Amino acid sequence: MSEVILKVRNVSKCYNLYNSGSISGDLSKWISSRRIEKSNYEFWALQEISFDLRKGDRLAVTGDNGAGKSTLLKILSKITRPTSGSIIGKGRITSMLEVGTGFHPELSGIENIYLNGAMLGMSKRDIKLKVDEIVDFAQIINQINNPVKLYSSGMYMRLAFATAAHLQSETIIMDEVLAVGDQKFKEKCITKLNDLSSEFGKTIILVSHEREHLRAICNKEIRLCKGLMI
Amino acid sequence: MTGREWKIIPQEPIFTLRLRELIQFRYLLSQLVYRDLIASYKQTILGPAWLIVHPLITTLIFTVVFGRIVKISTDGLPQPLFYLSGIICWNYFSECLIRTSTVFKDNANIFGKVYFPRIIVPISLAVSMFFRLVIHMLLLLLVMLFYSNHYNQNILTSIAIIPLLIITIALLGVGLGLIIACLTIKYKDLNFVIVFSLQLTMYTTTVIFPLNSAPKNMVSLVRANPMTTIIESFRHALFNTGNLEIVPLCYSLICGFLFFSIGFIAFNRMEKTFIDSI
Repeated sequence: MSEVILKVRNVSKCYNLYNSGSISGDLSKWISSRRIEKSNYEFWALQEISFDLRKGDRLAVTGDNGAGKSTLLKILSKITRPTSGSIIGKGRITSMLEVGTGFHPELSGIENIYLNGAMLGMSKRDIKLKVDEIVDFAQIINQINNPVKLYSSGMYMRLAFATAAHLQSETIIMDEVLAVGDQKFKEKCITKLNDLSSEFGKTIILVSHEREHLRAICNKEIRLCKGLMI
Repeated sequence: MTGREWKIIPQEPIFTLRLRELIQFRYLLSQLVYRDLIASYKQTILGPAWLIVHPLITTLIFTVVFGRIVKISTDGLPQPLFYLSGIICWNYFSECLIRTSTVFKDNANIFGKVYFPRIIVPISLAVSMFFRLVIHMLLLLLVMLFYSNHYNQNILTSIAIIPLLIITIALLGVGLGLIIACLTIKYKDLNFVIVFSLQLTMYTTTVIFPLNSAPKNMVSLVRANPMTTIIESFRHALFNTGNLEIVPLCYSLICGFLFFSIGFIAFNRMEKTFIDSI
C-alpha cells in the first residue's frame, strides 16, 4: 500500500448567512440577538467529513447541486477554512475550481503559465522546464502570446487544464472542468489524468456530473447529500 | 518525491509568520512586482513618464500657491526643493496605504481560486512602490543639483537616516492599509473616507510648512501624525534644516511597528475567512 497523502478528519463548514455590511445592521443584529435564534442564520454546508487518500488515488466527489462538493474542494485547496475538523496533507495542491485557475485576463497565455506556477511556489527555472509541454498539450501554439481574454472558452479551458496537469504538484483538484472542451480533448484529458496517477503517483480529486468520466478515471468515491457523506 | 507536510485547522495562533513559505514563494513576489510596475504602464501614452509627472506638477502648484501667493516660509530652502522632498515622502506613504487598503477587493478573483501566502500581495505592493520612490528620489537629486549652493548637505547623516525613514514610512503605510483593508471587508463605505481624509491629513503634516513656523502650542498636535517627524528628518538629512530630534523619531518608529503588527495580525485573521463574506 502506498503512503497516505491526505487525511481528512471530521471536517465541517458553517456559513453565516447574516451579513449586513453596515454598522447599523450589525447593531440591530446585536440588539436582536437575544430574541432570534442564532441557528436561523447558520448554514452547514459540510458536516463531519472524513476520508483518507493514498498516493495515486483518484477520488470522485459526487452529489446533487448544493450538496457541498465545491465547499469541500475549496477547503482542500486552502481557499477557505473549515469551521471544525482538520486536514493533514503532503506536498503541493493544484486546484482548478471552475474554469481557469486564477488566470489574469490581460496577461498572455505564457505569462499566465508563469504566474500560475509562481502561485504554486515554483521557481522560474522549474516552470521553464514545463512550458513547452503545457503549450503543446493545450494545442494553442499560435495564440500563446495573446492575452487570455481573447481566448475562446475552449482554448481557455485547455490551457487551464494543461497548466494544472503539468505543474509540479502532488495532488490535483478539478471541479467540473471536463464540461467544456470537445469530445477529443475530453478523452485526451482522461488519458492524461490516468497517466498522472499511474506514472507519477499523483493524487486526483474530481467533481463531475458525468458518471462515465468518473468511471473512466476514479477508484474511490465520496457521495455527498446536503453536506453529509452517504 | 513527496513534498512537505502541512495541516489545515480552523484557527491558527495569532502571529504566524511562515518565513520558509515566504522564501519559497519569492518568484511569485518578483512576478507580482514586475506585473504591477510594467502592466500598469501598458496602453498609456506617456508610459513610465507618468511617474515623475505627478510629483513635478504638484511641486509646481505648491510653489505657486503656497510659495508665491500665500508666502509660507520654507525654512530658507528653495521652494521647489522644500515641497518636492515633502511630496515624495507623503506620496510613498499614501500610495502604500491606498493600494494596500484595497488588497482584498482587487484580488478577490485570484484569492477565491488559488492558494498562496496572501501576505505576499501587500509586500509586493510596498516593493513596487519602493521602486517608484527610487525614481522620485532620482528626480529630487536632479533638482538638488540644480540648487546645489542653497543648502549644505551632510552626506553621512543622509546615508544613516534615510533608509530608516523609508522603512518606517513603508511600515506605517502598509500597516494602516492592512487595518483598513480588514475593516472594509465588512464596512465598504470606509473606502470613500480614505482618499479624501488622506488628502486632508497631508495639509496637517509638514509637507507644505516647516515645523518651526507652527504656533508653539500646536507643535505637539502636528507631531501627533507620525509622518510629520519623518518628513522633517528627511529634510534634515538632505538639507541640514531644522534639528534631528530623537524622541519624536522614536515615536514615529514605534507607530510604524505598532500599526504594522496590528495590520499583519488582522490580515492573517481575515485572509482565511474573507472569501466567505465578500
